[in-house]
Amino acid sequence: MGLHSAPRPVRTSAEARFRLKRSLSPRMSGTQTMITVIFILIGFMTTAAISGNRSDSILSNARQSDLVSLLDDLAQREARLQAENSRLETARETLLGGDQYAALNEAKRRASELAKLAGSEAASGPGMTVTITGNLSASTLLDAIQELRDAGATAIQISDRNLAVRVIANTWFADSASGVTISGTALEVPIVIKVLGDSTVMEPALKIPGGLADTVGSGGGNVTIAPMENLAISAIVPLPKS
Amino acid sequence: MIPAIGLLVGIVFGLLLHPTVPVWLQPYLPIAVVAALDAVFGAFRSVLDGIFNDRIFVISFLSNVLVAAVIVFLGDQLGVGSQMSTGVVVVLSMRIFANVAAIRRHLLKA
Repeated sequence: MGLHSAPRPVRTSAEARFRLKRSLSPRMSGTQTMITVIFILIGFMTTAAISGNRSDSILSNARQSDLVSLLDDLAQREARLQAENSRLETARETLLGGDQYAALNEAKRRASELAKLAGSEAASGPGMTVTITGNLSASTLLDAIQELRDAGATAIQISDRNLAVRVIANTWFADSASGVTISGTALEVPIVIKVLGDSTVMEPALKIPGGLADTVGSGGGNVTIAPMENLAISAIVPLPKS
Repeated sequence: MIPAIGLLVGIVFGLLLHPTVPVWLQPYLPIAVVAALDAVFGAFRSVLDGIFNDRIFVISFLSNVLVAAVIVFLGDQLGVGSQMSTGVVVVLSMRIFANVAAIRRHLLKA
């Protein structure tokens, strides 16, 4: 590494400029070629190091806990997809087997699943009831419904003392004087949300910081969540005539 | 002049080919790049000093890259690889700064 270890007196700037010009004049000799090869190598090395560093910089700069949760997410997603894959495989097997009853049953099962989602059929199963007292704005309620759907809710019904509304894809929410208006039906607090799905997943979804329980609680209201083994949702939405 | 064109050619090659760095080389390549930069700035300074010697440049380039890689490799084996590469980068950066300061004094008298 001893290229210039001893301190040297600084020569005049004109002299240095002259040497620079002389060295810039193109000459072709063995050593010039060697130096050129080294410079090509340096340019290549630099770009290789930079591009190699950039390709996975998001993952390499992530913290360990982030990576672990990322991996967990992927593993869960894989398990879900695997389960769905095997279910579809069995369905395909039975359908290919020519069993007409199996095909009919499968079609009926899908129809009833879709009818539950569309809200055109009463539904029952495990779920939970959420009772909300105090001030409730339409946007808070909408956020809560979205959270429930994300947490795997299959059917949702919102009711007050007298009226009940089934929540489907095109349900709308608006503020009203005494509560909220849902798809044209004015509901008064206290409001009860009946929701089908896995309550162990849906309950934490409502209790996250900034979630329904948090928002209503800070407004002086109260949210009570009760898991139910068997919950019946009776409100239906008539199918639109197409 | 020709080496400067060579540098451009190398950069263009690197951009066009998108080389994938082998995993075993990944810790050493950035260190090698910094070591190479140190050799280049040292050479540039010695050109201005009027004592440039191409043989010394080639040897210093190779030995810089090699020694830097060996130090980091040794650090890896001892379990202090990241600290070692930090140390090497710090030392080489200091040398680059010193060389750039000398070049600046030559060309700008400041």
